[in-house]
Amino acid sequence: MEFIRIITRKTLFLAIFLLFSFMTPGVDAADKENCLMCHKYRQIGRIDEKGRKRSYFVNENIYANSVHRNVPCRDCHTYIDKLPHDPVTQEVNCANECHIKPPFSNDNFSHKKIIDVYNRSVHGTQEDDSPELKAAKPYCKYCHLNPIYTRVEEQRIAFEETLGRCLNCHERKGVTQAYKHITHRLRSKTSRSPQEIVQLCSKNCHADLVLMKKLKVSNESMEAVKTYNESIHGKAVGLGSQKAADCVSCHATSSIHDIYKKDEPHATVNKANLVKTCKQCHENVTERFAQIDVHSEIGPHEKPVLYSVNVILGFAFYGSVFGLIGLAMLESYGRRKDGIKMQILHGTSWRGKSKRDKSK
Amino acid sequence: MPGEPKRLEHPRSVYIIGFIFKIITLSVLIAVIYQITFSPHGPAVLVPIKEKIEESQKSAILEEVRQQEEYEKHRHFHHVVEYPQLPENMRPVCYICHSDYPHSKNKKVRAMLNMHTQFFVCETCHIQEQPGISVTYKWYNPLNETPKGPFYGTEYDPETGNLIEVEDQFSKISPFYRTGDKFKSAIQIQDSALAQDYVKVRDKLTPEQRDNVKKKFHVHIKAKGHECKVCHSRNGILDFRNLGFSANRTIDLEQLNIKGMVTKYESFYIPNLFSE
Ligand code: HEC
Ligand code: HEC
Ligand code: HEC
Repeated sequence: MEFIRIITRKTLFLAIFLLFSFMTPGVDAADKENCLMCHKYRQIGRIDEKGRKRSYFVNENIYANSVHRNVPCRDCHTYIDKLPHDPVTQEVNCANECHIKPPFSNDNFSHKKIIDVYNRSVHGTQEDDSPELKAAKPYCKYCHLNPIYTRVEEQRIAFEETLGRCLNCHERKGVTQAYKHITHRLRSKTSRSPQEIVQLCSKNCHADLVLMKKLKVSNESMEAVKTYNESIHGKAVGLGSQKAADCVSCHATSSIHDIYKKDEPHATVNKANLVKTCKQCHENVTERFAQIDVHSEIGPHEKPVLYSVNVILGFAFYGSVFGLIGLAMLESYGRRKDGIKMQILHGTSWRGKSKRDKSK
Repeated sequence: MPGEPKRLEHPRSVYIIGFIFKIITLSVLIAVIYQITFSPHGPAVLVPIKEKIEESQKSAILEEVRQQEEYEKHRHFHHVVEYPQLPENMRPVCYICHSDYPHSKNKKVRAMLNMHTQFFVCETCHIQEQPGISVTYKWYNPLNETPKGPFYGTEYDPETGNLIEVEDQFSKISPFYRTGDKFKSAIQIQDSALAQDYVKVRDKLTPEQRDNVKKKFHVHIKAKGHECKVCHSRNGILDFRNLGFSANRTIDLEQLNIKGMVTKYESFYIPNLFSE
């Protein structure tokens, strides 16, 4: 009897649940399981055992515009198996396969391919890495927040007009995202600005010399951010250029994650590949051109000739600016001493006669 | 000088041209000085001094907080969004001692209870009922005496199924003592000066003294807040329709148990949520 009662109660619950889940209008496909019922509130969170503030908030409107908008929560958060769930101790594995088949493919989507590329690069953790090195190497989330679709401003054909043609056959919502998905890859190597890329690589990592020293990187790598910022590329990017080379432009191919040390044969900055790498921007690149030092450390010992020329040019520049100011000031001082007064109006800056001028 | 030509007043345009040239000269000068002192593209002669000053003003605690925020941004993945905050002197006094996430003891509901503080003042759950005084619940906004809504969470957007986005970021449901037609706020003393004073001196107090001060802030506060079913049930203490919740939203909140959770997962163990 007890058994039958439980069964009927459960079936009843299930029936009601199914009824409700079909009745609720427009529930997002990614959230069939209604995780956002709780996680859509921005105050959901707690102070963890280490005293850190942990927010568990997911803004539903941002999520709905992110590239993962169709991925059900548990495709990534696979460890959630009941509701309410236990405190989460596991990390999401970005190489998971999700229950989504991309167009033109029979397999479920996964980031595995690019993660393999990444794991082979300098940033992938290797077995013989020291613990500090393992901890310092960036993981997917370090660089990638859940990306939002961005609209690339089309110069030759207006965004709306091109999209308008797609809308002849396709539905607006889906095709707008698909259009953005493709077009932002047609423009430049990454969808981030050179400034963002430089910031990403420098901040908390390559520009953190204390950390770099601890990881025992080569002298050249120690100086890399500084020498880049002093180079013509770095200066142009620092001044806002959207075309000058950032870190990724030279250090990776279009798969972006394949960054290698320069002595590795696949490295884009390996001597053998330099011409090709420079050719991405510079026409008519020769072997000789490719020899130009991009991360140039101009010190008295490394490059005495360049260093001296640099110093001389510096003297010439400051000498001419401050020399002129100095001369003007000396002249003014002399005139004042001679009793000539300064004035602003009346057509001349000076009034009165020099005391030394005895002729009048 | 003999034969010196007479200087005449120049036409006005000459002064304008002169002024423009002075501005240009001045900007070049400023640029050159910046180039020498702080610019990363120059010799940066003053940068070491600036760094030294920053170093001396560095606080280990601030540094750690900043690092944690940075870490949280990357850890979170789903975008850490900034929301407008009440000015410090208007925040309810409870937050001064209890932080933004006051619940931590009961593992099963702590995050969920903290979630409710987005739309409830603490007293909504923690108020000690007193015999003979009836309590009603209304929206309360510290910046606006008669908040009109629409309030967060009261309606679904028919197109997306998400909750509608609202302008009012500060209104929360709050208890009021009711006598006849008069409503009196049941929010405890809002004396943040007292609380801030407490935070400053608490290390100097003995445990008994500390308890005494603490009592000042917890006059009609009970240790355990309302249980879930006090609100999430047909005859809960909140009149959802009167508070502005739409009909389907009211049903969802009253029947929370059926809709989302119990049926889907066998082991549901929020204490007393749906025990009947
Ligand atoms: C002056 C600082 C201070 C202020 C202000 C304050 N509290 Fe507390 N509160 C405390 C301390 C300290 C405790 C004890 C914490 C503990 O035992 O872990 C406490 C405990 C509590 C408890 C749990 C009681 C128990 O016995 O476990 C509740 C509930 C509570 N506070 C609610 C509030 C509310 C609501 C407000 C705002 C009206 C508030 N507090 C304001 C300091 C404060
Ligand atoms: C949705 C109702 C609700 C709201 C709103 C609420 N609380 Fe609570 N609170 C509870 C319940 C229920 C408990 C008991 C939890 C348990 O131990 O099971 C509790 C316990 C506490 C405790 C002690 C236990 C702990 O988890 O550390 C403190 C302190 C506390 N609340 C402070 C606050 C403060 C401060 C606010 C306002 C910012 C607040 N609460 C708002 C329901 C609520
Ligand atoms: C004082 C009344 C009250 C208490 C007690 C309370 N809730 Fe709520 N709860 C609400 C209200 C009101 C909302 C919706 C607020 C909004 O969206 O603006 C809500 C929302 C929720 C939601 C989100 C539902 C949705 O569809 O958006 C969940 C889940 C929830 N509560 C669970 C709980 C649990 C679990 C407890 C007990 C630990 C609890 N509540 C205690 C009043 C309460």
